[in-house]
Amino acid sequence: MNWQVVIFDIFSYALLGYAVMLLTIYVTIGFFSIGETRSYLRKNSFTDYRVLASSPDAPSISVLAPAHNEGATIIDNVRSLLSLNYINLEVIVINDGSTDDSLEKLIEAYDLYELVYFVNAKIETQQVKAVYKSHNPVYKKLIVVDKVKGGKADALNVGINISKNDYLVSIDVDCVLEQDALLRLAKPFLERTDKRVIATGGVLRIVNSCDIEGGRLVKINLPEEFLPRVQTLEYIRAFLLSRMAWTRLNGLLLISGAFGAFDKEIVIKCGGYNNQTVGEDMEMVVRMRRYMEEKKERYKVAFIPDPLCWTEAPATYKNLGRQRNRWTRGTIETLYTHRKMFFNPKYHVLGMVSYPYWLFFEFLAPIVETIGFLAFLLFCFIGQVTWSCFFIMMSIFSIGVLYSIFAILMEVLTYNQYKQKKDILRLLLVAIAEPIFFHPFVVGSAIKGNFDILRKKNSWGEMTRRGFTHLRKIKT
Amino acid sequence: MKILVAEDDELMLKMLEFRLKKDGHEVIVTHDGREALDKIDELMPDLVITDIMMPYMSGLEIIGAVKARHPGTMPVIIISGMGQETVVLEAFQLGADDFITKPFSPNELSVRVKRFEKAVYA
Amino acid sequence: MVLGSLVVSLRTLGLIIFVFTNMILIILAFMLIYMVWRKAHEKNFSKYRMLSGLHIRRTVFYDGQIDPETGIPLTRRLKRMIVKKIFRRLFTEELISAKKNINGAAAINLKHLYHQLTLESYALKKLSRDHWHIKAKAIQELTLMDMRELKEELFAYTHDRNELVRMEAQVAMVQFNGFEGLRFLDTITYSISEWQQIKLLQKLSNLPPVHIEIDGWLKSSNSSVVVFALKLARNYHRFELHDIIITCLDHSDAQIRLQAIHCLGVIYTDETSVHLISRFWREGLPHQLAMISALQNIGSEKDNTFLGTLLHNDNYEIKLNAARALASNGLKGQAVLMDHGASDDQLNNIITQVRGEIAA
Repeated sequence: MNWQVVIFDIFSYALLGYAVMLLTIYVTIGFFSIGETRSYLRKNSFTDYRVLASSPDAPSISVLAPAHNEGATIIDNVRSLLSLNYINLEVIVINDGSTDDSLEKLIEAYDLYELVYFVNAKIETQQVKAVYKSHNPVYKKLIVVDKVKGGKADALNVGINISKNDYLVSIDVDCVLEQDALLRLAKPFLERTDKRVIATGGVLRIVNSCDIEGGRLVKINLPEEFLPRVQTLEYIRAFLLSRMAWTRLNGLLLISGAFGAFDKEIVIKCGGYNNQTVGEDMEMVVRMRRYMEEKKERYKVAFIPDPLCWTEAPATYKNLGRQRNRWTRGTIETLYTHRKMFFNPKYHVLGMVSYPYWLFFEFLAPIVETIGFLAFLLFCFIGQVTWSCFFIMMSIFSIGVLYSIFAILMEVLTYNQYKQKKDILRLLLVAIAEPIFFHPFVVGSAIKGNFDILRKKNSWGEMTRRGFTHLRKIKT
Repeated sequence: MKILVAEDDELMLKMLEFRLKKDGHEVIVTHDGREALDKIDELMPDLVITDIMMPYMSGLEIIGAVKARHPGTMPVIIISGMGQETVVLEAFQLGADDFITKPFSPNELSVRVKRFEKAVYA
Repeated sequence: MVLGSLVVSLRTLGLIIFVFTNMILIILAFMLIYMVWRKAHEKNFSKYRMLSGLHIRRTVFYDGQIDPETGIPLTRRLKRMIVKKIFRRLFTEELISAKKNINGAAAINLKHLYHQLTLESYALKKLSRDHWHIKAKAIQELTLMDMRELKEELFAYTHDRNELVRMEAQVAMVQFNGFEGLRFLDTITYSISEWQQIKLLQKLSNLPPVHIEIDGWLKSSNSSVVVFALKLARNYHRFELHDIIITCLDHSDAQIRLQAIHCLGVIYTDETSVHLISRFWREGLPHQLAMISALQNIGSEKDNTFLGTLLHNDNYEIKLNAARALASNGLKGQAVLMDHGASDDQLNNIITQVRGEIAA
């Protein structure tokens, strides 16, 4: 037996096995997500959220919006947060050591004055410099906190310390929210009698090229630039398919920091956000789940597929690379911190299904892909049959495209945010272009992320916020 | 009277418009807070009717702005949903002149609006 | 292609590609057809909406008596369109939406319109379908249109297998029977969710308050029923139930105790604060904070000493809220506050903050 052949065998069977497992997972996700989304939409068809809007028993919410150098749009965004349809609400904007004029703009626009406020540090944070409220009773829901720069997790922890309500909604201050967003986010916390809902996640949609007026979404357009457009497709796959499917299994590990609601009591018991990681949003959810498992209490992490939160996606390869690099490092840090749960039956679905999935098919996927691809090229060189190489590429390509198209179909059948035929056509073209122009870059960034973490790089990277000012048809 | 109505629910808006026009008033319709404030400054209505929960700018902000810019000359009636007592109280603290809760009776609205008619033409 | 001994023939690969490409094409075709179909329908929607809106407004503002023979005048066009499912669905939605916002004579007119167009027969047909969401939506429609003539039929659904259907039926019973519609609380064994409680309370708030016996519910073995009863007591100021609510303070269920504390903040006698204070130290933080918050509303002079001691508690939130309670307890309360503050820096900060809150 030739040892070379043995190695090739193991290698190729391993790759094939991995690919088959991945394919099975895609199909399973497809089915689960259809079931869960359909169930939600049906329930939604006769739900009147306005009942919550006028009920004194609706959960009290503190919206936490950390802000760093968001001067371009902060006034409008804060105003749109204040006009959200919800009564028992406080909006806490945390100025995380901005170097621009964000704070001055806020003080002026909202007639803010500094409070004598003793911050009770339930969670340790960087120093809070001042707390502001408005003289104007119309803005009485607003609290602005100025603090020493400490990063997003630290800013959120400050918000937690200051908040007086029972539920936290963490958002990115430049996200555009739908009017009813909080009503919909709050409902899952009220529905279960058997399990405690500890967190609810929502869908993120891409706002690039949409018409925004005064911090509010007026018209939805498909992004004009290639990179945001590809990410639109990616987000549809991730949110409508993947996350909905995981919710059905009660195995959802990730709620985006840009939009999610959390039970404050549990968050505080877990010690607040971890500011040692760049993936603080994922780490928080994993830690909360772990806490409930260890307490042996029944719980659920819910997810809503309605498009409620619109966020800006990176439009340059540089920013995209930074973002994906950061996501990879965040994933690794979270997986490492909670490695005790790996295939640990004590943690039920969390340890036996979710964690291994993230390890093998989210973290490891770019690595396996890269190795597989390189090995494949190698075989093509030393082998002679280039037609087979081409056919294998095409197979993988067609499976990927099929999955994307399935995602687009789901979108068309459910929320149909992009109504024009030409937009759907563009999405289809992007589905074909993605494996060539986008996916390799993302995989590369992930690999780089792996190397970076080995070299202990620990920063967010300053993503230059272009704000919405350059997007078309802006009126303020 | 020239009445400005601010209401984001299309059906409600049309109904208010219909009722008020039937009573002989001139009606300016707006769909959100910002549009309302713009038209208020531009057209100077005799009475403002606004919903409390609206996009861009809550009804409370409108009351605040109206009472600041046109004190004493522009009464404001607010429309609120059942159970929003705290908000209604806030509205009055800000200077609202009257309120109506949903579900409402169009005839009742008619009568309440008439009260302000006397005041305007007094 | 040979990878070691893994032989993947060109044919297999070709087959894979063929299958997947075909699947792609099928999905694309389906999507295209669907989009064209939907576009064609949506063109009509604005027309439908205008027509619906017109008729609904006309009905709302229809003056005078409705002739039992002819009913509200309807155009031939409307009668023709209403049999078409798509128009009917839109029309019904608009009708319901209007009915939610209007009451009084106008609302009765809308109900006449609904009945005249026999829309309830379509809703009833939906009730015999299998899908839970269709049943639930139909029940909700009949509830919102106040079809109390059908309440016997709908009663059966309060025992439906599906939780959401049951919930809609319960709301229907409350709509048609008022507070008496809550009788199902006597016997249910499952828990009512917070969401359902909110919906029921909202429905009740639209009806004139009726005095019904809720003592039984306050002693129910079903915790969620007790919680709901406490909310009822609070909302309707049932002062006579004060003593039973006090007993709830000793219940084993934490949620019940918390709700009882909230309730006592609204329903109280001059003895209530004593009851709260005597149980203070055996409760956890959330309950303690709720008690202090209640004392802020119902506290009197005799409670100042107790609140004063809380100012030296280890927990910051207790200190802060006790300070707030004292500050709202008249001049004597404020005097106690200032006394305690004299010695303690942190406490002084708190006092300044609280006074700032009051001044604002």
